Amino acid sequence: MIHRGEDIIIRTISRMLIPFIQLYGLYVIMHGHYSPGGGFQGGVILGASLILLLITHGYHDARSRVPERVLTVFSGVGVFIYAGTGFLCLVLMGNFLDYAMLAKILHTDAAHARSLGILSVEIGVGMAVMAVMVSIFLDISTGGVLPGEEEEKQKTAEEA
Amino acid sequence: MQTFFLAVALGICFLVLLVLYRVVYGPGVFNRVAAISAVGTKTLIILLIVGFLYQRVDMFVDISIVYALLNFIGCVAVAKYLEMER
Amino acid sequence: METIQNILAGLFLLGGCFFFATATIGLLRFPDFFTRLHATGKGDTLAVTLCLIGLAIHSGLNVTSVKILLIAVFMFLAQPTSTHAISRAGVRCGLEIWRKKEKEGNP
Repeated sequence: MIHRGEDIIIRTISRMLIPFIQLYGLYVIMHGHYSPGGGFQGGVILGASLILLLITHGYHDARSRVPERVLTVFSGVGVFIYAGTGFLCLVLMGNFLDYAMLAKILHTDAAHARSLGILSVEIGVGMAVMAVMVSIFLDISTGGVLPGEEEEKQKTAEEA
Repeated sequence: MQTFFLAVALGICFLVLLVLYRVVYGPGVFNRVAAISAVGTKTLIILLIVGFLYQRVDMFVDISIVYALLNFIGCVAVAKYLEMER
Repeated sequence: METIQNILAGLFLLGGCFFFATATIGLLRFPDFFTRLHATGKGDTLAVTLCLIGLAIHSGLNVTSVKILLIAVFMFLAQPTSTHAISRAGVRCGLEIWRKKEKEGNP
């Protein structure tokens, strides 16, 4: 179990820097078509910001800010956006992930529809990667002790 | 100007080679972590100068920001682990 | 105008390289872990800031130079913090502190 650090300097600087790291991760996702980046890289940067929160603030604080239900929903919604875009193109009588068919809904030409299709797929990938990375790290950092068991061990140690 | 940038980049590369001595021979893990952080800082500058040499700075600036972020997070993570190991 | 930009950028880069060289020599020659952290924590931060200001001046008045100055601000905040973290870990693990030895043979 990662315990809360007693150091005030690292905690303050982390609290100042984490929103800007997340903003930069969103920038990397959205500009994937032009500069180095894309869905996976931006998702990793977003996940790294939450891992910094876990390292500096301890397990319980991080868990209270990022509960388990939110992470599960995020990963599911991310995959749903990816597959949903593909199936939408299938429903509109094209191939799977044939973004040119989206031009019928969006009322633009085929090139713009392809660009927007790729952007939506990248957003889905970014959300899924962030959620899965943070979820795996939170599960590994307990060291095999469930939160309920640790409280019981503390109570028995105090009674003894 | 190009040759000046090239000379500066080669000078910083030579300094990186000197710091690698501390990475290999530093007694204990603390010296190695500090030296790796220094190598990361110098790599950042080399990346930007290479971007100027190829005249495509826009690409390399994004990569440099990510590398600075990962250097910082890695150093804090290793320090936390070493503190907990006691 | 462009020559003034180039000369200023060159001066800042040379100053940055000088501080990089000094920090590296300190990292190699100092006797103890905490003294080496002094060298690399302070010297590297200043050198990176000077080099990035030089490169931003060379690049002109762009979005790119604003991004380069953002890297400089981030390094100015983050590198002392990581130095503090690793030195705190060193103190709590009980690394011994170097003390100056008494010179023998003093009259």
